[in-house]
Amino acid sequence: MAVTQSRTRIQAPQLARTDPAWRNGILVLAALAAAALLVRLVNGAGVPAVQNFILVFGSLLVEALPFIALGAAVSALIEVFIPASAFARLARLPRPLQMPVAGLGGFAFPVCECGSVPVARRLLLKGLTPAAAITFMLAAPILNPVVLIATAVAYRGRDILWPMVLGRAGLGLVVAMAVGWVMATRSRGDLLRDADPARGAGHDHGASGDSREGRWARYFGQLGADFSMLTKYLIVGAAVASALQTFVPQSVIGGVAETPILSVLALMVLAAMLSLCSESDAFVAASFVQFGMAAQLGFLVVGPMIDAKLGVLYAGTFNRRFAVTVTTAVFAVTLAGSLWMQVLFG
Amino acid sequence: MTRSWSPLRVAVGGALAAWAALFWFLLLSGRTSLYLSSRTAWVVPVGAILLTVSAAGRLASARTGIPEPLGRRTVWGLGFVVLPVAVLLALPPATLGSFAASRRTLSTGLVTTAPNLETGGPVTLASVAAAGWSQDARRSLIRRAGTSVTFDGIVARRDGQPADEFMLTRFIVSCCVADALGVQVRVVGAPPDRFRTDEWVRVSGTFYPVGREVVVDAAAIEPIPRPDNPYLNV
Repeated sequence: MAVTQSRTRIQAPQLARTDPAWRNGILVLAALAAAALLVRLVNGAGVPAVQNFILVFGSLLVEALPFIALGAAVSALIEVFIPASAFARLARLPRPLQMPVAGLGGFAFPVCECGSVPVARRLLLKGLTPAAAITFMLAAPILNPVVLIATAVAYRGRDILWPMVLGRAGLGLVVAMAVGWVMATRSRGDLLRDADPARGAGHDHGASGDSREGRWARYFGQLGADFSMLTKYLIVGAAVASALQTFVPQSVIGGVAETPILSVLALMVLAAMLSLCSESDAFVAASFVQFGMAAQLGFLVVGPMIDAKLGVLYAGTFNRRFAVTVTTAVFAVTLAGSLWMQVLFG
Repeated sequence: MTRSWSPLRVAVGGALAAWAALFWFLLLSGRTSLYLSSRTAWVVPVGAILLTVSAAGRLASARTGIPEPLGRRTVWGLGFVVLPVAVLLALPPATLGSFAASRRTLSTGLVTTAPNLETGGPVTLASVAAAGWSQDARRSLIRRAGTSVTFDGIVARRDGQPADEFMLTRFIVSCCVADALGVQVRVVGAPPDRFRTDEWVRVSGTFYPVGREVVVDAAAIEPIPRPDNPYLNV
């Protein structure tokens, strides 16, 4: 034992001298320092667009990253501590029952859309059917108590309060189940970009690399792998959303407010551009007073399922066709559902 | 069997620790309000604790019996993950300004009632926002026309606006700055060219709703430091 510890002490500094990773590490640290300096210089120059971009970018990350960490923590928990047999039982349920059960899972796991992506990926890897996992991923950010209460608060005092709250929940579930149904025939390997359970951007094999390691070592290995993979995509997505918020004025969509179908499409596209959190988007939707109920409902259903940062997260998690299929299905079903709700309650 | 530090695990632990450090910094420096509303500020301590535990757990299990190479691509990938930490730590305290006001929705449904107006309390920018949305709040605001108000906000200017006028602007944030919506009042009777665009000022005067706008006839305008909570929260 004493000999082993002594060897360990000797090997760490040897690694430091010989491993080229240290040279790359120093280069990365130098690049980060240069980026920080650049931010100070650009901010000092007082360019309003750049300041606005960094503020929106920072706020999206500060709000979303704890949910990414939480999603990675739950995902690792599912991988390491929950046996696959638990999901096999759920997978044996008839498909028509699986999807609504998975969709209503949001009430048990009330997180934003960023947290539901790693959990859905892990559920798929553990054997849950694609239909159920995708339904859960799309429905959880809408069908959770926090989001529905926020929607009710945003629309309080207005005639369309209940149509908006119940319409958002109902249409959200229907859209999520429709997309789940579309995905039902795909295999896990068809859907996921990388079906290796332990793999992440950091390629941290802590969960499976050394089979003699304890459960907690594997847990933190899995968590680190999921966190680094998802954060990379979240950063790109937040940058795209911030650029859209900075350079595309919201007034550009105002001209189509009175046009029935175009107004719904315009607000759905705006929701995808803005990348708002599902807990706050109702307040923004409620401010579009010039738009009808269908357009506002479309904004509230599409936003938590399709947006700039989610698009990049999907691209990193799922295969290339997934984002296109989900976007097409979500837009089509939401458009039809929103217009139908307008006819019923508008 | 020999166990040695895995550079890969140390690097992933370092990335988690860097993010944890950012969240602790936001919490301890009071900068949370520059990014989030008071309603969602709880995610910062939760993030700080969660990321600290995650980093500690990864670093505590960073010694392994099998070699785990840390490739160049992985190092740069993790550097990219940490990049926003460097950017946000380097960024001096800043808030949305007149540029954002020119590109964001200004009518707001965030505030749907104005209890202050009903009870005879002070007229606030939240009351003005409510009046832009609710007919009841607007009628209440009109009843209070001509009374004294004091508003804090930033100076913004519209194209072609007279030199003795500006738009006093404040943003209402529900969750984070990305969902900010503006509320503006037109200030008249300001000393020409005395206040810079984006400067924080306190305007005292009498207010009058005029059409869809609220106009404040300024009696006094003074520069103020940026408030601790620069955004109005709901």
